Amino acid sequence: MEYLGYITLTIFVVTMVLTLFRKINLPVQTVLVLVSIVSLIIGAVFRIVSEGLNSAILLPNEMIGGIILHPITALLGGLFLAGALDATQGFDALKVIIDKLKKTPIGLTGTLVILINLPVIASLPCGRIIAAALLPLLFAFGYEGGMGILTKTQLVVLIGAFTRNAMGSCGPSPIGGVGQIGEGFLGAFFPTASEGILRSPQAFSLIIGTAMTALFLKIISEKLYPDDVSLRDRPENLPKQEQTKISAVSSPFRGYLSLIIFVASLLIAIFQPFGKMPVQTVIVAGAILIIILCRASIQDLMNGIILLPVTAMASGFMAAGVLAATGGFDALGVILKSLSTIQILGVAGMLAIFVQMQTILPLSCSRILTAALVPVLYLFGPAKFNMVTWPQLAIVMAAYIINATTSCGPSPLGGGGTMGEGQMRAESGFIKGAYTYTAMAVMAPLAAIYMKFMNFTVFSPDNPEFSQNILTIIIYTAVIIGVSAGMMAFVSRMAGENSAYNWRLQLIYFLISGGIAGAVLSLAVYELKVLEIVQGFVGGLIAAFLIGVMVPKTLSVVRKTT
Amino acid sequence: MDKDKTNQEKKPIGARWEEDQPLVMPGIRRFQFFTNVDDRALTKNLNRLAMFGIATVLAVDVGKAVVNKNPQTIYCYECRACYSTQDKCPVGIQYQAELVVAARVSDYDRFCRNGGLKCIRCGSCQSFCVQYLNLAQIFGTMQQQTMKALRTGKIPERIIRNAFRNGLINRDFIDEVTEFLNKGDSV
Repeated sequence: MEYLGYITLTIFVVTMVLTLFRKINLPVQTVLVLVSIVSLIIGAVFRIVSEGLNSAILLPNEMIGGIILHPITALLGGLFLAGALDATQGFDALKVIIDKLKKTPIGLTGTLVILINLPVIASLPCGRIIAAALLPLLFAFGYEGGMGILTKTQLVVLIGAFTRNAMGSCGPSPIGGVGQIGEGFLGAFFPTASEGILRSPQAFSLIIGTAMTALFLKIISEKLYPDDVSLRDRPENLPKQEQTKISAVSSPFRGYLSLIIFVASLLIAIFQPFGKMPVQTVIVAGAILIIILCRASIQDLMNGIILLPVTAMASGFMAAGVLAATGGFDALGVILKSLSTIQILGVAGMLAIFVQMQTILPLSCSRILTAALVPVLYLFGPAKFNMVTWPQLAIVMAAYIINATTSCGPSPLGGGGTMGEGQMRAESGFIKGAYTYTAMAVMAPLAAIYMKFMNFTVFSPDNPEFSQNILTIIIYTAVIIGVSAGMMAFVSRMAGENSAYNWRLQLIYFLISGGIAGAVLSLAVYELKVLEIVQGFVGGLIAAFLIGVMVPKTLSVVRKTT
Repeated sequence: MDKDKTNQEKKPIGARWEEDQPLVMPGIRRFQFFTNVDDRALTKNLNRLAMFGIATVLAVDVGKAVVNKNPQTIYCYECRACYSTQDKCPVGIQYQAELVVAARVSDYDRFCRNGGLKCIRCGSCQSFCVQYLNLAQIFGTMQQQTMKALRTGKIPERIIRNAFRNGLINRDFIDEVTEFLNKGDSV
C-alpha cells in the first residue's frame, strides 16, 4: 500500500504540472477526472491483490469522501444571490451609494480600501460567496461597467486585490473557516485556542498581503503581461455628452430593497442572530426574498450561476479523495518528514518548505490539503515526533494556515482567483505571480511574527512585554514590506520587452524573497540561531523555486493554425 | 489544379486549416471548433463524459447521505472546529470531522480508523460544532450501519481487526466484533 501512495501522488503531480505548462491540452476538469479514474483503477487492483474484492469495492466511497460540499454550495449560493442582486438592479443602488460616499471625507480611495477589505471584515467561511456577489460591482467602476470612475489599471488592481482578500478570508472565519482546523489541534496545548488563536495572525497578514498584491499587480504583473487584460479604458476623445451619461447613475426602489435584503443576509450569515445555521441557507433565503419582493425571475437568478469553477472544484476534490484513499497524502507527509534528515535543510528548512506547501501545489480549495497536512504538522510537535515545542508549533501553524487559505487564489484548477481574472478580462494566470508572491514572501512570515510577538501575549494577558511586542511587530512588518516593495520596484525597473528575461528576473526575485521568508520563519521559531536561520533560508529558497517556476512566462493563448 | 490536389493529399485526417474557418471580417476568421485552440479539448465527448462524471459523483455524495439516513452530514463545513473537543471527549476521539465525512459517504475504513466504533454518543463534541450538528446522532447512525455491514460481510476483516487491536471498539459492539474476528480466525 505504501508504494501505491507514491504511484498515485506521482501521477497526480506529473499530470498537474503538464496541464499547467499546457502540455496536456484538455480542460482541467477532464484531466482531474481522468487522474481520479486511473488512480482509482490502480488502487482497486492493489486492493484486490492485497485485501480482496470487498476492500476494492469500498474504494469509490473513500474517493467521494474527499469531496467537500461546503465550498461548492457556498459558491453556488453566492452566485445565486449575486444573480438576484444584478437582476433587480441592486448593483445600481450600490453604485449610487458609492457615488455619494465619494463625496464624503473618506473619498473614493477610502471607499475602495474598505471595499477591498470587505471579505476579511465579513470573514465568511468561503470567500467565493462575497467575491461572486461583489465582483460585478467592482467591474462597474470601469468604463465598460458604466460608472467610468476608474482607469483600466486601477480596475485591474482593485479587482485583483479584492479577489486576493476574498480568497484568504475563509481562513480567519469564526463560522467554519479553514483556520479552525489548526485551532482544533492547538487546543491540545492552548486551552482557549478554539476562541481564535490563529484568527488575528491571518487577518493581519491578509490585510498587509492584499496591499502588497495590489502593488505587485500594478508595478510587475501589468509590465510582464501588458497585452493580456482586455478591459478597455475610456476613449480620450469621448464626447462630453457621453461622459456625463457614464457618470450619472440611478436605481429604482426595488434596487435599494434588494440591496437591503442582500446586506441583511450577509449580516445574518456572519453574526447568526437566529441561531447556528449554514451560511448557504441564509443566502438562498435572501435570494428567494429578493425574487418575491423585488420581482426577479428564477431565470435571472440562474443566469448568475457559473458552472466552470464549481465543476473544477468538484473534480479537484475527486482527485484529492483518490489520493487520500490510496495513501498519496501519507506519502507526501513521509517525503516532507524525510527532508528534515538532509543536513542543509534540517527541521528548520523542512518547515520552511512545509509552510509553503499549498502555494507550491495550489488546489481549487485549500481545505483539501489542509485537512490532510495539518495532522502531519501536528505530529511534528510534541504529540509524536517532538521536532518542535508547542509554541513553535503554533508559530509554524500560523504561517502554514495563512499560506494554505490563500492558496485557492492562484490555483489554476478552478481556484477563486480565476473569478477575478474573468472579471478583469485577463488571460488565465495573470494574477498567479502576485498571489503566490505575497502568500509566500509577505503573509507567511508576517503571520509567524504576529503569532510570536502578539498572540502569545494576548492569549496570556499578564505578559508585561505587551507594548514592547507591538513595537517589534511594527518594526518587522515595516522591514518585510520595505524589502519586498524595494525589490519589487527594482524588478519593475529592470523588466523589459523580452518575456523570457522578465520571467528569469521574476524568478530571482522570488528566490531572494522566498529565502528571506524562510529565514524570518526560522527566526520566529528558533530565535537567533544562525544554523537554523540558514537552514530556513535554504528551505525558503527551494520553496520559492518551486513556486516561481510555476508562474507563467506569457499568457496569450497560442492558436493552432495548421 | 495538380498543386491543390497534392495539398489536399498532404492534409492530415481531421486537420482544419485557418483558411477553412468562417470569415468574420476581412482578414479575421472565427475558429469554429474548440480543437483549433491549443488549450481546449481534444474531443468534446471526453469532456462531456467528465462533466457527467462530476455531476454523478456530486449526486451520489448528497444522495448517499440521504439514503443512509444521515442527511445532517451534508451541512458539515469540514472546518474541523470539533477537533477542539480534545480531552472533553471521554473516549479520546481526536478527529470528529473525519467521522462525519465517513458517515456521509459510508466510508467504513475511515470511520473505524478514527474511532467511530469507540464513540459512546455522549454529545460532548456537539458544542464545538459551528453548525451545532447532532454529532452523537450522526455517529450512532453510522455505528449501526457499520455493524450491519459487518454482519453482511461488506467490511474487510483488516479494518475491524485494526480497530480491535488499537482499542477502538466500545463495549456495545465488542462482543459482536470478537465473534466476527473469531469466525475469521477459525476459517
